[in-house]
Formats: sequence, structure tokens, C-alpha cells
Amino acid sequence: MGEYVSSVVAPRAIARPRFGAALLLALPLLGLLLFFVHPLLTVLWRSVTDANGAFTLANYGRLLDDPGLPRAALRSLSIGVATTFTTMAFGLCLAMTLHRSRLRGKFLIRGALLLPMLAPSLVLGLGLVCLLGRNGLVHRLTGIPTDIYGFWGLLIANTLYGLPQVVIIVSAALERTPARHYDAAASMGATPWRQFIDVTLPRLRFALLAAAFLVFTETLTDFGSAVVVGGSYRVLAMEIYSEVVGQLDFAMGATLGVVLLAPALLSVWLGRLAKRRQDSGDASPGRALVPEHHPLRDAVLGTVAAIALLPVVAVVGTVAYVSAVKLWPYDRTLTLANYTGGMPDGYGPVATSLGVSLLAAVVGVVMIFALSAGLRRASPRIARPLQVLASLPAAVPGMVLGLGYVLTFNHGALSGWFYGSAAIVAACSLYHYHAQAFLTMQTGMRQVPDALEDAVASFGGDTRHVLRDAVLPFAMPAAISTFFYLFMRSLVTLSGVIFLVTPGLGLASVAVMRLDENGFLAQAAAYAMCVVVAGALALGAMRLLLHVLKDRRHVA
Amino acid sequence: MHLRIDDIAKAWSGHTVLDGVSFHAGESDFVCLLGPSGCGKTTLLRIVAGLTAPDRGRIILDGQDITALPARERRMGLVFQSYSLFPDMTVAANVGYPMRLRGESPAAIATHTGEWLERVGLGTLATRFPDQLSGGQQQRVALARALAANPSMLLLDEPLSALDPAIRGQLRGEIRALQRSLGIPTIMVTHDQDEALAMADTIVCMNDGRIEQIGSPRCLYERPRTRFVADFIGHANLLPTGFVRETLPAFLERRPPGPDSTFELCLRPEDLLIDADPRGEGVIEDITFLGNLARAHIAWRGRRVLAELPGRSPLVRGEAVSIDAVRGAWVST
Repeated sequence: MGEYVSSVVAPRAIARPRFGAALLLALPLLGLLLFFVHPLLTVLWRSVTDANGAFTLANYGRLLDDPGLPRAALRSLSIGVATTFTTMAFGLCLAMTLHRSRLRGKFLIRGALLLPMLAPSLVLGLGLVCLLGRNGLVHRLTGIPTDIYGFWGLLIANTLYGLPQVVIIVSAALERTPARHYDAAASMGATPWRQFIDVTLPRLRFALLAAAFLVFTETLTDFGSAVVVGGSYRVLAMEIYSEVVGQLDFAMGATLGVVLLAPALLSVWLGRLAKRRQDSGDASPGRALVPEHHPLRDAVLGTVAAIALLPVVAVVGTVAYVSAVKLWPYDRTLTLANYTGGMPDGYGPVATSLGVSLLAAVVGVVMIFALSAGLRRASPRIARPLQVLASLPAAVPGMVLGLGYVLTFNHGALSGWFYGSAAIVAACSLYHYHAQAFLTMQTGMRQVPDALEDAVASFGGDTRHVLRDAVLPFAMPAAISTFFYLFMRSLVTLSGVIFLVTPGLGLASVAVMRLDENGFLAQAAAYAMCVVVAGALALGAMRLLLHVLKDRRHVA
Repeated sequence: MHLRIDDIAKAWSGHTVLDGVSFHAGESDFVCLLGPSGCGKTTLLRIVAGLTAPDRGRIILDGQDITALPARERRMGLVFQSYSLFPDMTVAANVGYPMRLRGESPAAIATHTGEWLERVGLGTLATRFPDQLSGGQQQRVALARALAANPSMLLLDEPLSALDPAIRGQLRGEIRALQRSLGIPTIMVTHDQDEALAMADTIVCMNDGRIEQIGSPRCLYERPRTRFVADFIGHANLLPTGFVRETLPAFLERRPPGPDSTFELCLRPEDLLIDADPRGEGVIEDITFLGNLARAHIAWRGRRVLAELPGRSPLVRGEAVSIDAVRGAWVST
């Protein structure tokens, strides 16, 4: 099947009813304009105006007056570059271990890699502090003085956080490399090392670039670990936080936000370029690749995998342990008291976090489904700019978007009920993670056969029938993935929502941060574990649903 | 039912795909749109179906201009190359789908669906899902679904291209028989000349957005009007006028007037008369035995022609032969 290439190369979208496209696109577009473009422009505007609203570049001039700011920028850059290197090195090794070794127990690696996806950088930072902080477990048990705060703490927390993302991107590229390329190289006498250099690496170039830019952006804009393990090593994200929350200097916060936005935008743009090049892979991977017997390679890869993943397990394990001790770090009697009443606000913040995440996921999946379905039938002139707009949030740090929300919505028509509500937090989470969710949905939409949509139309179906009978059955797995992606991200996000929470609206991730700031590490750990467990349950539910969906057609 | 296609033109972002195409299809006609990839045939079919809007021209069905009518109001049955069944619906639900859209009663739908599945020989597979069927079975379901809607026309877009050759041949016959028994006007798009020759009442041969020739399969094969048609349908030995003047002057009598370069003589391989002759002008370059016939490449005054001979021909490679022809058609270049 499919060896014949259809003669129609022209865009098919022209054929579909335009009014359907307009209807589908209207709401998602409005959402993007109102909750993404508008706040972003407000931040930009605020950075170039003075208190009276007149245009000025004085804010940017002030950046240099404070010696702390250039230093913070330099630190952000160095931590970004260093993290990118370590994460790429370990991530490549882990992906190679998963796909090019005969090591047994790969499920352990996959399992350990799930932890950083469930535990945000904030939780990883918290675990690191509990393990290697001045009063950490290691110091308590061995008496060796430890002090993880600063560069090394940030490096470790961010590296652990970035690992699974690098492994996912590199693995996808490794899976696309057909076995026959290795057969050909081997038949010409290439050693395994030469095969790695000549076959594997060239096909990984763009995946590695894309992954590197992703890690760099995330590290640069990360707030969670910066606030917990940064200590006196203050990076840009911390400076924004203290300008806004500490000194209520919104103009300076906005200006710093723009400074942070520039390298993130550049990095995402370069990453997209790299990704576009990478798409020209082999369509048919052919026979599955079975790595050759090579004990030395497996031993080396296994050792590196252990070095990379043991800290992950140790750090998350420490959080679990700390959440179950009586009075960290002085009385380490095991107890469930932290879960049964020790948490200062009870389960309220967890419930709020779950509610906000559910709202973001439900609204998000509907909006993004409508957007993707509408784009299929819109003319390219409209579709292309919309696609860029929908992907743009990837380049906007959560803090910048959150700050934009404060500046935009604390007055005006929406401020009354929206500002300080769960809805504004949900909106911020949704649009912060819009790009990846959109990408997932788009990938699913590409599975929908054009012929099926045309068939429905020719049998007398309207847009509603096309969506229900032709699009949804194929896009369902992507919709499920999108839903849970938004849910899980919203559950753990801190950077975007930090400016939006109010005393009446506690979130679990914010509770972790506040309790950590005040030294209640055990209670912070208990909240963190709630988030991790909720995320794990959601992940399990997603896998179950996708599995059921896959099986359903074969039941009859 | 009578379909008239009148001066249809279409361009995609400046690139002309259809350039003033006109033809008509009568009651119970089986029309094949034949041409190479990118000739515009699929676009034309989609315009007839109402899935694409033409830039110019009209589609007239039974005297009524339906150019502006959306696809869902045209009641045309469509079968695509592949992947057009609903994966989540059973075979029966797929076939019943157009009737459900029209709001027919469940009982009527069930009866109809059963009838149609019997007709395409899939009565026992009603409760299966598409991914449990072979490619040929899936296309039968698609055909039943298109016909169950009681369409005014049947439109087939390369329905056999994705199938194995053996199934393709079988389904070819089934589609044609079904179409004859229903008497439904049908347009099929194909790039496969064998398919078009075997199935069509009328072939519309297209190239580069234009119609090269319209006619019965036999007409297009025996009397191609252009070099493109001669070459695209079957094999053609195309000989320039000057060459014909020296070798087969008898054919010049029927040559249309015009400069030498405007017409070529098309000789089908089976039209060449080849005889062993030591003084002949041709030399057998190679000869391939194919059972009932033999195919020979012959060097002839600096040209190379293909001839089909009886399988038992005693000619061998290197042998000198005389060449003549019984039939031929002048084609414009």
C-alpha cells in the first residue's frame, strides 16, 4: 500500500468549507491574542515606558547601574551553557544505552527517567538541598560538611530536569536510523566506533541541536531550582522575582523579562531551524536494529547511565523520605504526620492545583483541537502565521508571561473576577505550555487521511460530521496526550504562576517554595510528593487510556 | 443522468493545473480520465465532486448548473485510492453511514446495507472492522458505501492503485460489471493505461492540464491524434515524415498537410510485418520470447523499432529482415 504517490501536490485545504475553518479558528485565535499576545506586548510596552506612560529607554539604562544585574545575566548564561553540556552528554549516553546496547534492565532506566518529568526542577532542587544542603542527609549521616547551594546545585538540578527531554528527542532520531545503514557499514569493514561516528552521529546532528537549544532555554528561564538551590548565586530569574515581589518595581521586572526573552526566542528559533532539517529522515525504517554483542560498550554505557540516574533516584527518594520524617533534619523518626495534618494548609493547595490543572487541560485540549482542525482547512496564507503564533509560547519564559498577566489583568474589564481566580492561573499555565501541546495535536492531526474527510463531505456531512467521524478517531490519541501533557505541566509549574497566586489561592508548587523558604522542609517535601504522586497517577491514566484506545478496534 | 464539463480551469498558486477542459458523459457511461501524474485528472474529479472549486467553467448535471453546489448536496458516490473507511466503524456501519447522514430509518439502513454487502461479496464480514480486512476487501466496502447512498454519479479516484496486481485485475472486472448492472454514469481517474483500456467506454486522455484526445479505448489506440496519446497508450514506433517518405511512401497518401516536422507516423508493434530477408534493411538486435508472442528490437536505417511477432517466429538475433506495415496513424507532434 502507498507506493503510489498521489498526483495531487496542491494544498487540499482550499477544498474545505471556509466558514467551518473560520468558526473553528475564531475562539483559539481570540484566546491566543488575549492571553498570550496581549500580556507579552504589555511586558514589552512596560519596559520602554516610564511611570507616566511616556516612551523611554531609561529602564534598559538602569540595567547597567545595578552591578548585580549584569552579573546575574552572566551567571544565567554560564549555568545555561554548563547545563546544556552536561545534559547533552548524559542524555546522549542514556539514549544510546536504551537503543544501541544489549544491557538488561532498560525498564529501570525508563522508569528513572520518568521521575524528572513528574518532579519539577523545584522538587529536584528541594531533594538536592535535603540530600547535600548544609544540614543535608549526607552531612547528618557522615559529618562531612556539604553545601550544595549555588552553581553546582543549579547545575545538578537543571541537568537532572533536562535529561528525559534530551533522551526523548535523541531516541526518536535513533529509532529513525534504519538497520540497513549499519549493515552496509559493517559489510564494508567499519568497526562499531566508526559506525557510531559515520552512521549514528550524522543522523543525530539536528536532534542534538534541537535538544541542546531546548535545554539551554529551559535552564536560562528556570525559576524553580533557582529559588531553592540558587542561594546567593542569583540568576536572572531570581532578579526578576525580587524586583517584582520584593521591590514592586514592575518596570524593572518587565525590562529584565525582555532581556530574558531575547536569548530564549533566539534559541527556540534556532531549535526550530534544526528540527526542520531533521525531518528529512527515512520514511521506512525497515527491520528493527539489534545491537551486536559488545560487553565493553555495554559496561561503559551502563556505568554512565548509573552515574546519570542514581542522583535522580536519590534526590526524589530523599524528598519522599524527608516527607515522612517528624522534624527535618533534627528528628528523623518516620511518621505520616506530615500527610495527615502536618501540612499547614492541609490538602487545599493540592486540590486547587488539581482543579487549576484540570481546567487548563480541559479548556486547552478543546481550544487546541479546534485550532489544529481549523488549520487543516484554512488557506496557507492564514494557516502559516497562526502556526507560528501557536508555537511562539515555547520561547516565552513562564515568568515573563506571568508578569504580563499581572500587568495586563490587574486592572481593566477582566480584573474583577478573573484576577486572583483559578481561571487566570489556568490560562497562564495553558498558554505557557501551548506550543508543545499544539505540536502534539498537530502530529495527531497529520494522521487523519484527507480522503476520509472528503468522503464525509461527499456523503452529505457538514463540518460537525467531519470532525466527529473522520478527524476525532485519528486525532484521539493526540488529544489524550495533549490533555495529560497540559494537566501534568500545569500541576508542577511554578515560574508562570508565581506572580498570580494570592493568599486565597494557594497552589501546591507555591506551597513547596514558601515552606522551603521558611525552613519547613518536611512539609514542603510532603506537598512535593503529593504533586509527584498526582502526576504519576495522571501518567498512568494516560497510558491506560491510550492502550485501551489502541486495543478497542480489535475487540470485535 | 448526463454530465457536461464546460471549459473548466484551475490554478494552484499561479501554477495552471487545468486549462479549459470540456467533455461530457452520457447515461451509464464509464469514463476514464487517463494521464500521467500531475496532469490535472484528480483535480478535475474533485471539481466534479464539489471538493474543489474551479477558477472558471461550469459543471452541468442533467441540465442543471451545479458548479456552486457544495459537495454534500451533489449526491455523488466517491471511492478513493485508500484509507477512506472509518476505522472505528464496522463494515456495516461504514456502508450505512451516508444513509444515516440522510436520516433514514435504522431498519431501512440495515436492509440496504445487507443488500449492498451481498452485492460486493462481503455479506459475511459485516461486523468486521476495516483494519481486519485486506486492501481489496476495503475497496469493496468503499464501493458499497459509495453506491448505497444511491448517488447520481460514481466517482472513482485511482481506486485500484494501492492494490496487488492480482486483486486489481479481479476488482477491475467486478467494478465494471456492477457499474453496467446499475447503469450509473461513472468517472474514474487512473494513470494506468491497461486499466483504462480494459474498463472504459470513453477515455479522456489528459496531459498538462489539457485534454489530448477523447474517444473509445480502441479509437485512442488505433487512431491516436497526438504524439503524447500514441506514446502514453500502448507502445508506439514514431517515424518522422522524411523517414516514411524513403521507407513506407504508401503512407504519405493519408498524411494530413503540413510541414515535415508537424506529423509523425505511429506504427504499433503488432502492425509491423517482419520477414526474414537477407537483402532486407532491418537487423534483429534482440528478440525476447514471451510465449504466445515474441518481441523484437530491430535496427532499421539508423532507427530502432519494436515489433511483435508470433511466439513461434524462427527469427534470431543478428538476422536481416524486411520491414513493412499494414496500418498506421499520423499523429501531430
